[in-house]
Amino acid sequence: MNVGEKERETMDLVNMLEKGGPACETKTLGNYIWDDLPDPDKWADCVHCGMCLEACPTYQETGEEQHSPRGRVYLIKAVAEGKIDINDAFSKPVFDCLDCRACETACPADVQVGGLIEEARGQIRQAIPLKGLKGTVSKTVLNGIFPNKKRLNMLGGLMRFYQKSGMQTIARKTGVLNVMPSHMKDMEAILPEVGKPVLGRYPEEVPAEGKTKEKVGMLTGCVMDIMFSDVNEATIRVLNHNGFEVGLPKQQGCCGALHIHAGDRKTGKKLAKRNIEAFKDYDKVLVNAAGCGCALQEYDELFRNDPEMLPLAEEFSEKIEDVSKFLYDNDFKRPKSAINIKITYHDACHLAHGQGVRFEPRQLLQEIPGVEMVELPDADRCCGSAGIYNLTHPEMAGKLLDRKMDDIPENVEMISMGNPGCMLQIAMGVEKHGRSEKVVHTVQLLDWAYEKDKQKMKS
Amino acid sequence: MFGKKRKLQGLDAITRKLMAIVGENEVLYKKEDLISYECDGYTMYKGMPRAVVFVKDTQQVSQVVQCLNKEEIPYIARGAGTGLSGGATPLGGEVLISLVKMKRMLHLDLENRKAVVEPGYINLKLTQSISDKGYYYAPDPSSQYACTIGGNVAENSGGAHCLKYGVTTNHILGLEIVLPSGEIVEIGEEGVPDQPGYDLLGLLTGSEGTLGIVTKVTVKVLKNPEAKKTALAYFDDIDDASQAVSDIIAAGIIPAALEMMDEIAIEGVESAAYPVGHPRDIASFLLIEVDGIAVGIDDQIEEILTVCKQNNVREVKVAKDEAERSLWWANRKMGFGAMGAISPDYLVQDGVIPRTRLPEVLAKITQISRKYDLRIANIFHAGDGNLHPLILFDASVPGESERASRAGSECLKEKRGRD
Repeated sequence: MNVGEKERETMDLVNMLEKGGPACETKTLGNYIWDDLPDPDKWADCVHCGMCLEACPTYQETGEEQHSPRGRVYLIKAVAEGKIDINDAFSKPVFDCLDCRACETACPADVQVGGLIEEARGQIRQAIPLKGLKGTVSKTVLNGIFPNKKRLNMLGGLMRFYQKSGMQTIARKTGVLNVMPSHMKDMEAILPEVGKPVLGRYPEEVPAEGKTKEKVGMLTGCVMDIMFSDVNEATIRVLNHNGFEVGLPKQQGCCGALHIHAGDRKTGKKLAKRNIEAFKDYDKVLVNAAGCGCALQEYDELFRNDPEMLPLAEEFSEKIEDVSKFLYDNDFKRPKSAINIKITYHDACHLAHGQGVRFEPRQLLQEIPGVEMVELPDADRCCGSAGIYNLTHPEMAGKLLDRKMDDIPENVEMISMGNPGCMLQIAMGVEKHGRSEKVVHTVQLLDWAYEKDKQKMKS
Repeated sequence: MFGKKRKLQGLDAITRKLMAIVGENEVLYKKEDLISYECDGYTMYKGMPRAVVFVKDTQQVSQVVQCLNKEEIPYIARGAGTGLSGGATPLGGEVLISLVKMKRMLHLDLENRKAVVEPGYINLKLTQSISDKGYYYAPDPSSQYACTIGGNVAENSGGAHCLKYGVTTNHILGLEIVLPSGEIVEIGEEGVPDQPGYDLLGLLTGSEGTLGIVTKVTVKVLKNPEAKKTALAYFDDIDDASQAVSDIIAAGIIPAALEMMDEIAIEGVESAAYPVGHPRDIASFLLIEVDGIAVGIDDQIEEILTVCKQNNVREVKVAKDEAERSLWWANRKMGFGAMGAISPDYLVQDGVIPRTRLPEVLAKITQISRKYDLRIANIFHAGDGNLHPLILFDASVPGESERASRAGSECLKEKRGRD
């Protein structure tokens, strides 16, 4: 679909009627005519030097300029200059981006490619709403399930039922799963054992062990709390053990990252508002899912066109920190018991590139006695998970997963990381490649070491 | 399926012929896919190509070239598109032959210190792939993180370390090229570059693909120097820094690199991704590196520091470890791109002057900057007098691109006048 002159006029008219004044001067930017315009300052930073090219997983795979960060920025700018329309050919490179931010690490001028991609996607989804099966799936999953805690918990319950009732065994044995697309089947094969979500089950304030150092809020997340509630439990225990009271305000919910990535900024904002409100009494909010942490840190970016919300969002973003960085910066208790294991560490994109956290999680792991760290080559190259990219772009995600698995050193027993999406994806890689490494979250290892300490104390 | 058929029916005969050679998915022809190919790292001039063709081997290059030659359609070879002189920029209507998918290393012969790579092989990747064995590839243009060796051959790329080690042409042992007729020719057989007859390798290196498309490159690889020392010298007066450059060379030292940045350039790199913490009130700094056998390297760096002190240096420091050295180099090598942090666009010029005339030419550049009311940053290879004035401008301001272009030309004229 092309956005023609006529539609632009209609939009201007709509804007005029809604806002009560001529909107065309401020409300459009070339062929961007929809609400929440992209930020020209972001592409103004790009001088087209190309330092980002080799950092970009999709460029590495395709070699095509429009699938590189520099190319995408160029296209996004070209729409603003009226050189090209918002259509499918523009949409493809913008949506094929993993939003992994590796380009932001490589960029000499700090161009915020990720933010720009998300803003452009917001325009595309308003110009070309998803139709057919894709539209229905997106509506049900992104709008129907993730924002709604009850439905999300119900889904968790259903999955638990599927696993516990024996249905999973039957489904796997009978080959019923073969009707699913192969990437969905691969994912089913590695579904972690679904526990009960922490939020709602735990008290809103979980007291520290011993003297309370500080009160911190914690985001329990949506996928994390359903698929990896054990990681949430471990995070709470580790924080408590370090003297922190953990606040789990019930009002919190999904961070909206998946929606923002998919171009649905409206739902993203709704969810952001809910979290800003939920954590208003906390000075520090900790996150154990890199993707969510990055999204929360960028709520100010999400509300850049909303003068009313912007100051609140800025204040909120300042409070957000990844749990591994927080523990390291706050002199975490060094475990005394040894866990004798060889591990490697994978940098989640939204932790390394998105938040600049690389050193601290490695340090947490290495300070556990007995842990031997083997560095993973190109540890900060995307594993292909990228939110729900592995579901929307299975082919590219599969290639990146294969590369990741090829890089994983032969002799390690565990792969540690700080993001649930990567944990699912890499677990799928382990299964697919017939390997045996255990996939763990960084704080889980620390939790085990503390548990050992506690058991020793008891005996 | 039907959609695809319909899609192909709308294509012109040339596009379909190209698709028949390389495959449907290896030709870009839609406006949205082509627009990011309308320029390379030099954004001042742009032109839309007719199509982009991705080739995977020498045979395909030959077939594509023959096809285009027969149809009398101009073509341009393109690597990563990081060049700053518009070598891969279409005028309009050309077919771009992209060599980025020919990116394998074909052969490594460390005993004879050579490697054979395809043209799309990334410059830095070569050093990375042999560094654990103690070797490296010397030409290090600042874009080495992303640029291709084929592109380096086309542009005869230099780099920070060419003061001591020379430019690309000094490191090429052999080439395979596809001539405009489609004929495949090898030059510099058996890795011996200097064959009887004309110096064809010298002629081809730097010919920007106009004489043929490079499809295979045999390069020299060097043993890592035993020791390296890197120093930073901060100056309050740019003339003192320039004089120090001449005095270092006059003292008989050939540093591996001798780089200089002025105040505006420092503002750029310090506002960008790799700030070093350079003082913001200095006029200029020199980044100096010496390498070679370990014995005597300390004396060399001491001698350099003494020369700097004689030239009223404010502060000198030697990198304490590899991490600090890497940061200093990242700060320098990302310098051009870093201009994006202080200016929407920039235009870089590339000219060489005798070292001794650095002060007067830099003063003249300052005058040109005032005349055109445009800021000009200087990041350059001071050791060999290779200036890179970066004219900062905003293309969205009417008339500013033209003014930048005129200022750039005047900078170059000034240099020519002084030669």
